[in-house]
Amino acid sequence: MNVPQYDVAELRRALAEDPRTAELGVQVRIRGDQLFLTGDVACPERRAAIAEVAAEHSDGLALHNEVRVVRHDPPTGQEDLR
Amino acid sequence: MIRIGAVGDVHLGVDMRGTVRPSYADIAEHADLLLLAGDLTRLGTVAEGEVVADEFAGLDVPVIAVLGNHDHQSDAEDKITGLLTDRGITVLEGSATVLDVDGVRVGVAGGKGFGGGFAGKCGHAFGEREMKAFIHHTEEVAERLRTALQGLTADIRIALTHYSPSAETLRGEPPEIFPFLGSYQLAEAIDASDVDLAVHGHAHYGTESGTTAGGVRVRNVAQPIIQAAYRVYTLEPAAVEPAYPR
Repeated sequence: MNVPQYDVAELRRALAEDPRTAELGVQVRIRGDQLFLTGDVACPERRAAIAEVAAEHSDGLALHNEVRVVRHDPPTGQEDLR
Repeated sequence: MIRIGAVGDVHLGVDMRGTVRPSYADIAEHADLLLLAGDLTRLGTVAEGEVVADEFAGLDVPVIAVLGNHDHQSDAEDKITGLLTDRGITVLEGSATVLDVDGVRVGVAGGKGFGGGFAGKCGHAFGEREMKAFIHHTEEVAERLRTALQGLTADIRIALTHYSPSAETLRGEPPEIFPFLGSYQLAEAIDASDVDLAVHGHAHYGTESGTTAGGVRVRNVAQPIIQAAYRVYTLEPAAVEPAYPR
């Protein structure tokens, strides 16, 4: 029996434990035959690695890699805590 | 006015060498010091630690760091600490440092911290030895944080951890995983020590602003939250004498 909840758990575990990704902060959702990945990673190479690992665990699912690369811009303001 | 720059969870890998340093080239225009709130690396290897050193060593402001869980992944945390220290980055683990910023003593005490959960919804040192070891680690790091904070003689006191001392800055994360994201025992140490600001990372889906139960301001600077190279918070030494001696 194919249980989407277990598929989600397996993929999240793979994304966390596979050294190609080591990403604990990627959220995985399966809706029908659509697989959605969301979250933020440090660089474009990590985003591609996530897609690579996810593809190995997503037979029959259409993969949507919505993971974003975090911004590294210098700050534009400051928060006054005085 | 003291300007505290802070970022956590930069997760540098060998594929990122040279990519983030340009964002810190003019940091002295924005901040007086930079706090790194753990998860400096992705896999916690020495090679990644060297990238962290290359990116953050020798900036125009002092850099103070704690390690995170990712930095422990390859059991090389001591080597990473050593190489960062050799490059002039202060790495705290149950320890503290005091900087002189234009005559103001800025004290930072910190450490990785750990999980365990928050008051009334936490694990206990009971049952299997694995469970007791988990909670005992939390207790140990919280006690070392308390000792480091209370040993500070400073005009401004900052607590720097990777794990969160507050559930408030975890809003957005699934409540089921809060015990893996922080511990109220870190906040107990902070609330007992007249802290002006607590800074942490680790919770990528959390919220930037919160407080401890005792009313100390907490900021989650995980980079996916702040979406910038770093955030800047401004502080002044307390105008009135605090209950706890500085």
